[in-house]
Amino acid sequence: MKPYPMRPGRLIAKAILALAGFLAVFPLVWTALNALKNNVDIITRVPKAIFTPTLANISYILGRDSVLTGLYNSVVACGSAVLIGVVLGLPAAYAVARYPNRFAGDIQFFVLSLRFLPPVAVAIPLMVIWLQVGLYDTLPALIVTYSLLTISVIMWLAIPAFQGVPKEIEEAAFVDGYGAYSVFWRIALPVAARSLIGAIAFSFVLVWNEFLIALMLSSSNAKTLPIVASELSQQGMNVPWGILNASVVLLSLPPLLFLGVLSGFLNSVFRQKKN
Amino acid sequence: MRRRRSSLPVTFLVPTLAILLVLSMVPTLYAIVIALQNRELSTPGYSWVWFSNFADLFTDRRFLNAVWVSVKWEIVTVVATMVVAIGLGVLMFEVAGPRMRNVYCLLFIIPVLLPRVSAAFVWKFAYHPLYGIATYPYRLVTGGLIFDPLSKPATALFAVASVDVWQWGLFFAVIVLKLLETLPPQPIEAARLDHAKRWQIHAYVTLPMLKAPLISLMFVKMIESLRSFDLIYVMTRGGPGVATETLDMYAFSQGFIESGKVSYASAMAVLMMIATVITFTMLWKRVQA
Repeated sequence: MKPYPMRPGRLIAKAILALAGFLAVFPLVWTALNALKNNVDIITRVPKAIFTPTLANISYILGRDSVLTGLYNSVVACGSAVLIGVVLGLPAAYAVARYPNRFAGDIQFFVLSLRFLPPVAVAIPLMVIWLQVGLYDTLPALIVTYSLLTISVIMWLAIPAFQGVPKEIEEAAFVDGYGAYSVFWRIALPVAARSLIGAIAFSFVLVWNEFLIALMLSSSNAKTLPIVASELSQQGMNVPWGILNASVVLLSLPPLLFLGVLSGFLNSVFRQKKN
Repeated sequence: MRRRRSSLPVTFLVPTLAILLVLSMVPTLYAIVIALQNRELSTPGYSWVWFSNFADLFTDRRFLNAVWVSVKWEIVTVVATMVVAIGLGVLMFEVAGPRMRNVYCLLFIIPVLLPRVSAAFVWKFAYHPLYGIATYPYRLVTGGLIFDPLSKPATALFAVASVDVWQWGLFFAVIVLKLLETLPPQPIEAARLDHAKRWQIHAYVTLPMLKAPLISLMFVKMIESLRSFDLIYVMTRGGPGVATETLDMYAFSQGFIESGKVSYASAMAVLMMIATVITFTMLWKRVQA
């Protein structure tokens, strides 16, 4: 491909892209700046970019029991659900990928169709069920509910990951006398590991960000961080903007930690397609 | 073959599928059961009322409004996301070098990773009529006039939808770029030798070649657009009035905020479930065919 000379069209295209890149991150950067501002610096008609920073909002947030409990609940609920998703989802995905049977297509469709279910349609009956069983507003109830999400998502994404493992390596291991289970453990898992980590990270982000189910299944003890953050905004008319911004930053940090892993995962998915 | 005789598929598949079946079927069936009763959160007793909740729904004007708002939401977000994604994807493919592509890809993934609640708050501040950063240019140009997109019925839905497109449109632009990169270069070169213009190459060569993956992408967006609740709950609570009250928002407020009519809310959820499962099953079969 020969590079075309610089033309106005090209310049406009570059300007649009630069604007889109700016729009992608600037609102978030602005929120982070607001988290470091005193309220007087936020409530200004002309936005202030230069101000004396304060850590008051952040230390207020980290000192609140409700926020710490929410953080703990989020970590435990999401961590456990992802763990269950890994333990149950990965082997099932491997079986679908490597042991083709008549139902493989139906199984894949069933797993995908779980994503069609409107969250309200799952949350309302589960709330009634957990109330009756006496587990409403507890972490185990949330973990079990989230497991439905993590198992299906991990399974859906891990099937192509296992299919991407070269068959010859597995065949060679069988010839060397490995059993079916040790081929899974010692060959398929390590070879597919990078894609699998991407799938697992994705499922974590999905449940970490989940809001509706957590809102309906908790009233005080099992509130996750998104619920706590959303409640901070309802403290009457005097909205503590700085504090709210700080809580948004805290809530957004964990998924952003996975940015590298997930963009690598995206690249590997498309590299597979190309080959 | 050794694989055939192994017990692995059974031990690996059966427990997982059994658990998935139980976890999905129990709530689904129970949602139907509740919808046929008259449960309320405030009172413990209930009786069977069969289809009267469903009959009530069809004369409930707020429900019919919610159906219409949901349809509008679905169309606006899906179309806008695909337009933004294809537009930016093609632009990146055309004018960005390898290094800039990597930078843009990283930047464009950030919004979709944010919790919906965070994204909603970020933009709720930005749209604040007095102090918001997104309304600041308007204040600057008009000399301090107030523009409050979230509290006007005409603009509220679009203001909330813009956040959804901010998250998904930019993310899908990355995918469109990666799809374009997987295409073989020969057809593009051939079109260029025929003196096709840049936009013609994409309109008549590359995008038609990507028809199948682009349709799958749209399908994914249609499913994800059903999850509008977080954005709407944080940004407008369905308001002003009922201008942004989608089905899940209305079901939630009937069941939990206003009246605690769990059965009525469940009837709504069941209708949603039937509609989405039928629609998406049919679409999926068509995409696969």
